[in-house]
Amino acid sequence: MTGGEGTGNAALALTVNGRRRRIRAPDAERLLDTLRWRLGLKGTKEGCRSGGCGACTVLVDGRSTLSCLTLTHEVAGATVTTVEGIGRDPVGRRVQAAFARENAVQCGYCTPGFVVALTGLLRERGPKLPPERLLEDLGGNLCRCTGYAAIRRATEAVCREVG
Amino acid sequence: MAFSLAVPRSPAEAVRLLADAPPGGAEALAGGTDLLLDIDAGRVAPSRLISLGRLPWRTLRRSGGDLVIGATLPLRDLERDPRLPRDLPGLYRAVRAVGSVALRHRATMGGNIARSSPSSDLLPILLALEARVRLVGPSGPRELPLPELLKGPRETTRVPGELIAAIVVPARRPSAYLWQRVRPSNDISQVGVAVARRERPPYWRVALGGVWPVPARLSSVEAILDSPDPGDIAVELAAQEAARCAPFVTDKRATEAYRRRLVATLLRRALREVTVP
Amino acid sequence: MRTDAPAKVRGRVEYGMDLEAPGMLWGALVPAPVAHGRIVAIDASVARGMAGVRAVVTGADLDRLLPKGGGDPERRLLPTEEVTYRHQPVAVIAADSRAVARAAAAAVRVATEALPSVDDIEEVFPDWPGAEGPGSPQVVAHVHALHGDLDAAFASAELVVSQTFRTSGVAQVALEPHACLASVEDGSYRIRTSTQAPFAVRSDTAEILGLAESRVVVEGSWVGGGFGGKASSLVEPYALVLAIASGRPVKLALTYREEFLLGRSTLPAVVRIDSSLLKGTITGRRVRLLLDAGAMLPGRDFATGYAIGFLAGPYRIEAVELEGYAVRTHKPPFGAHRAPFAAQCAFVAESHMDAIARRAGIDPFDLRLAHAWREGDTTPLGQRVGPFGLREALERAHRQREAWRADGHGSGGIGVACGFWSTGTGAGGEAIVEFARDGLHIIEGEREIGSGSVIRGLVAVVERVTGLPPAAVRVDYRDTRSAPFDSGVFGSRTVGALGQAVEKAVRKGMGTLAARAKVPEVRLAFDGGELWVVTRGHKRSLTSLLTPAERALGHLAIGGRHYGRSGTLEESRVREGEFYAYTDFTASVVLAQAAVDRETGAVRPERVAEFLDVGVALDPEMVRTQMEGGIAMGLGTALTEETLWTSAGRLANPGLLDYRIPTLGDIPPIETVIVEGFPGAGPFGAKGVGEPPIIPVPAAIANAVLDATGAQVTELPLTPERVARALKLL
Repeated sequence: MTGGEGTGNAALALTVNGRRRRIRAPDAERLLDTLRWRLGLKGTKEGCRSGGCGACTVLVDGRSTLSCLTLTHEVAGATVTTVEGIGRDPVGRRVQAAFARENAVQCGYCTPGFVVALTGLLRERGPKLPPERLLEDLGGNLCRCTGYAAIRRATEAVCREVG
Repeated sequence: MAFSLAVPRSPAEAVRLLADAPPGGAEALAGGTDLLLDIDAGRVAPSRLISLGRLPWRTLRRSGGDLVIGATLPLRDLERDPRLPRDLPGLYRAVRAVGSVALRHRATMGGNIARSSPSSDLLPILLALEARVRLVGPSGPRELPLPELLKGPRETTRVPGELIAAIVVPARRPSAYLWQRVRPSNDISQVGVAVARRERPPYWRVALGGVWPVPARLSSVEAILDSPDPGDIAVELAAQEAARCAPFVTDKRATEAYRRRLVATLLRRALREVTVP
Repeated sequence: MRTDAPAKVRGRVEYGMDLEAPGMLWGALVPAPVAHGRIVAIDASVARGMAGVRAVVTGADLDRLLPKGGGDPERRLLPTEEVTYRHQPVAVIAADSRAVARAAAAAVRVATEALPSVDDIEEVFPDWPGAEGPGSPQVVAHVHALHGDLDAAFASAELVVSQTFRTSGVAQVALEPHACLASVEDGSYRIRTSTQAPFAVRSDTAEILGLAESRVVVEGSWVGGGFGGKASSLVEPYALVLAIASGRPVKLALTYREEFLLGRSTLPAVVRIDSSLLKGTITGRRVRLLLDAGAMLPGRDFATGYAIGFLAGPYRIEAVELEGYAVRTHKPPFGAHRAPFAAQCAFVAESHMDAIARRAGIDPFDLRLAHAWREGDTTPLGQRVGPFGLREALERAHRQREAWRADGHGSGGIGVACGFWSTGTGAGGEAIVEFARDGLHIIEGEREIGSGSVIRGLVAVVERVTGLPPAAVRVDYRDTRSAPFDSGVFGSRTVGALGQAVEKAVRKGMGTLAARAKVPEVRLAFDGGELWVVTRGHKRSLTSLLTPAERALGHLAIGGRHYGRSGTLEESRVREGEFYAYTDFTASVVLAQAAVDRETGAVRPERVAEFLDVGVALDPEMVRTQMEGGIAMGLGTALTEETLWTSAGRLANPGLLDYRIPTLGDIPPIETVIVEGFPGAGPFGAKGVGEPPIIPVPAAIANAVLDATGAQVTELPLTPERVARALKLL
C-alpha cells in the first residue's frame, strides 16, 4: 500500500461514483491516495499535492474538494464523485464532451480536475450563471498546456448548453 | 508524519481530547488546508489530530445586529450567503481572496484565525470589523476581541484545550478589503488593507495584513479619519500616516519600500471605495 | 477532435505517476544538505533498519551493483566525494510504501564539509570576463563570433544605445512530476516512464549506469506535460539502480518540491547589448551574455551557443559580435524549457529594439521592417535564411495595431516583438508505417505528450499524402525494442523531422503496392472500416497485394528515415566555441496591449495577438492551440514566474504557492493568426510550432509597458514591484 500512514487503521464507508465502498485506511491517509491506490481510481491526478494545482479535485457531497488536502476519515460516509464517475451526471457528461470537442485537452493531466471542478460549479450554481464568474471560480485549476483559451471556449459552450 | 485522528461529536469532547493531550501532541483540525501542509513539510508533527468536522459549528446566524459565523463553517458557505456582498462588502471580498473554490469548500474562518498567518486575507477585515471571537475551553466559554487572541505568526493566546467556536461581526457595515499580489488571481497577498466605517465616532477602523508578523489595526490612521466622509486631504494624510506605520517586513514577496507604497495606495483606494456611493 | 481527448476527459489514460506493478516498491531520493561540499560520511544505518525498507544505495554501493564498476565516472549517478548543488541526490532508498521510503530518506545522515559556493554569476565576473574568462574553472562554455567592422560601426555612429538586461530562472511546472517504474526482467532492464524521448532515456540510462544499451528497454507512458523537462533521463537511472539492488520493480516519482529543485529549471542570465545607429540603420551590435549554467558539466552546455544567436535578432546588421559564457554555479544544472532561453533572448533583443526606436524617434514597426531578414539574407553566423515570414507577420501585426488603436477596446500601451526559431529538423528519426486491413498504423516509440504533434501532426501528414480520413490512420506506441529509433518529441521537430520519415514510409509503401499491382501509382481509400487500394479506378483489397508472409502478419510494414541536414555556419565568423547551426527559420510576431497601474506598478495584459509563420498549417486547430498555450506560458515568463535563488544554493520558492504560473483569470483574449507561404523543410513545407509561439511574448509585454508609461523594465519578470521601480515610485 502506498501513500497512507498513521497509527490507526479504522474501517469507513464511502459512496464512490455511486458504489458503496467499505475500506480500512490509516488515520493520516489522504482521500487522493485512497482513491488512487486503494480503490484504483487513478483518473484523479496527483500534481503538486499541496492544494496549489487542482489536478486532484473530486466532488465530496457535490462540492469540489482538493483530495490531496483531505483526510479520508474526515469524509467518512460521504458521496465522492471522481472523473471516472462524473459522466453519470448529465452536466458532467456535457462538460466532458465540450472539453474534448473544443480541444481543451492537451497533455490531459489537468483535465480530470477541470472537468470535476466545472461540473461542481455548474451543479452548485444552477443553470443561470454568468460565464465570467464561472471562469473566475476555476482559478484554482492550473493548466500549463492550453493557455486556458480552449478551456474558456469549452466552459462558455457548456454554459450555453445548460443555460 | 504519522498521526492518529479523533473525531469528537461534541465541543465538550473535543475540548477534553485536546486538553488531555501532552503539549504540542495534539492539534485541532478544522478544514486542514493549512495544517496538513505544515505537517507534510515537517513544520509541525502532532501525534494526534482532533477533527472539528462533526461539531455543530457549521452555522451562520444573524441576531441582534450581529452576524455570528460558526468557526467550522466552510468559507464557501459564507461567500455564498446572498446578503453578504451587500451587507459586508469588505468581508465578502476578503473571503473570495482566500485560495480557490475547492479550497474554500474546506477552509474555515476558525481555522484561519487559529492558524494566524501574517498574510491572512481574513484577519485585516475581521480586525476592521472589530470582530469578537467566542471560545470554549476547559474552564468554560469566553468572548474576546480579536486583537487579544492574536499573538504571533501561527500563535494565539488560547489556553490548552481551548477552541474557537464562533466569530461575531456586525451584520452590516460599509467596508472594503483591497489587496495586491504578484499574480492577481489565487496568490498570497503582499499587502492587504481593510477599512470599515461605523455609524458613530470613532467612524473608521483600518487594519493591515501582510506587512507584520501579525495583522493589526492602525489606530493613528483611524484618529486622522474623524469624519464619516473624509475629504481628499484627510484621505491623503491617512495614507501618508499609514505608510509611516513601518517598519514593515521585507521578504520574498515584496520589499518594505514597496509595501509602504502599497499601503498608502490601497488605503486611499479603500477609503474612496467606502465613501463614494 | 483529438483522438486522445475522449479517454483523457474520462481520466482513462495512464501517466507515469499512475504506473504500478505487482510487488512494486517506492523509491525516494536522499538530498545533499549543502550546495557545495565534500562528503565526509553517509550514515544510512537507521534507514536500513526501518521496517519496510528494501534497499539503500549510496555512491559507494554503485561499484558493487553495476557491471562496469559504478557506471560512467564523469556522470556518476551518486557522488562519493563532492556534491555540487543542494538537493543533489546522494543516496536512494526503496521501501514498501512511499511514506516509508521518504521517512527512511529523511533518516539518512549526510555529513559534509562545506566548501564555498558560487551563487551569483555576476559575483564570479564583477567586471565581465576579461582575458582570464575563457580559462576560468567556473566557465563551462565560451562562444565568440564576429563579423564586420564593429569598431568602425560604433566610431561612425550617430547614436549608440547600450543596455544591460537581466532574466530570471523559469521552472517547468509540467503538472505531472517526473515518474517512472523500473524493473529487471529476464536479464533486461525495463523502464516505463513519462518521457518525451524514450530513446534518449535508454542511451542516457545505459551510459550513466554503464549498462549495455541493448539490454535497456524503455516504454513511454502518457506524459502529463513535457516542455523540455522530460526530454532526457532524470528519475530513470535512480529507479533502475534500486530495482537492481532490490530485485523488485521500483516506482520513483519526484515530489512537486523536488520538481522545482531537480526538475530542470532554466537559470538567471545577464546580457549586455550595445547597438550603433547611423541614418536610421543599425550598423553594429555587440552582445555579451553571461548564463548561469548551474552544476552543468563542462562540454554539456547546450544553451549558450544555441541561444546567443537569438540575441542579435532576426535583423540585417552589418557588423555583429556575439560572446557568451556559461558560468558554473552551485545550482542544479540548467534545463531546457520550451524554446530554451529564446524567449529571454527575445526579451533582451526586442526591448533593445524599442529602446533604439525611442531614442531615434522611429516607430518600432518601421525600425523592425527596415531591418527584418528576408529570404536569402545572411545571419551573423553566416547562415542563409530560407523562406521566412517575418515581414509578412510584421505587416499584419502593424495593421492589427492600427485596428486596436482605432477600436478603443483597450486602454493600455501596445507593444510589438519579433522572434525567430529553428525547427529542429537536424535531429534524426525513423518511422515504420504498417499498411493493414483496418488502416495505416504509424509505429512510434514516443507517446503524444500533449502538443498534438504525434497524435494529430504525424497523422495529418499521412492524411495529406494519402487523402485518407483521420479514422484510417492511428498511432501505435511500442517500447524501444520494437519501435524505430527517433530522437524525441522536442525542439518543435516532430512534424518537421519525424514527419518526413513518416511521409517517406507512406510514399514508399504506396510505391511498393503500385509495383506489385504493376501500375504507375495507387491511391488509398477507406471504406466500411477497411483500407482499399485503388489502381486505375479499380478498388481492390489490400490483402490481394500482400505476400503470404505479410498476410500472416496482417500488414505490410514499410520504414522511412530522416536524418536531416544541419545548417552550416561560416567558419570564418566563429572565433571560439560551439555555435548551433539553425535550420528552417520560422518567425513569430506578437502584439500585446497592457494596462499599467501607475500607483502600484501592476501590469494587466488586455489582449494579445500572435502572427506565426508555420510554413504550412497541416492542422490549423492544433497550430492555434499551440499558439494559445505558448502565449500563456510566455505571459508567465513576462509577468510572474521566477525561481528565487537566495544564498548557498537555496531556492526560496520551490512550490506553486510562490512560483506563480498564470491561471485562467490572468489570460486576456488571444487572437492567433497563421502566416503561410514561406515553406520549411518539413512535410508539405511545414515548420515546427511548439516553441515559436512563446518567444516574443515577454518582450511584447515589456514593450507595451514602455509604450504605456515611457519606462522600460530591463529585468524579467515584470513583477509589480519591478515596474514600480521603473516608474520611480520607490
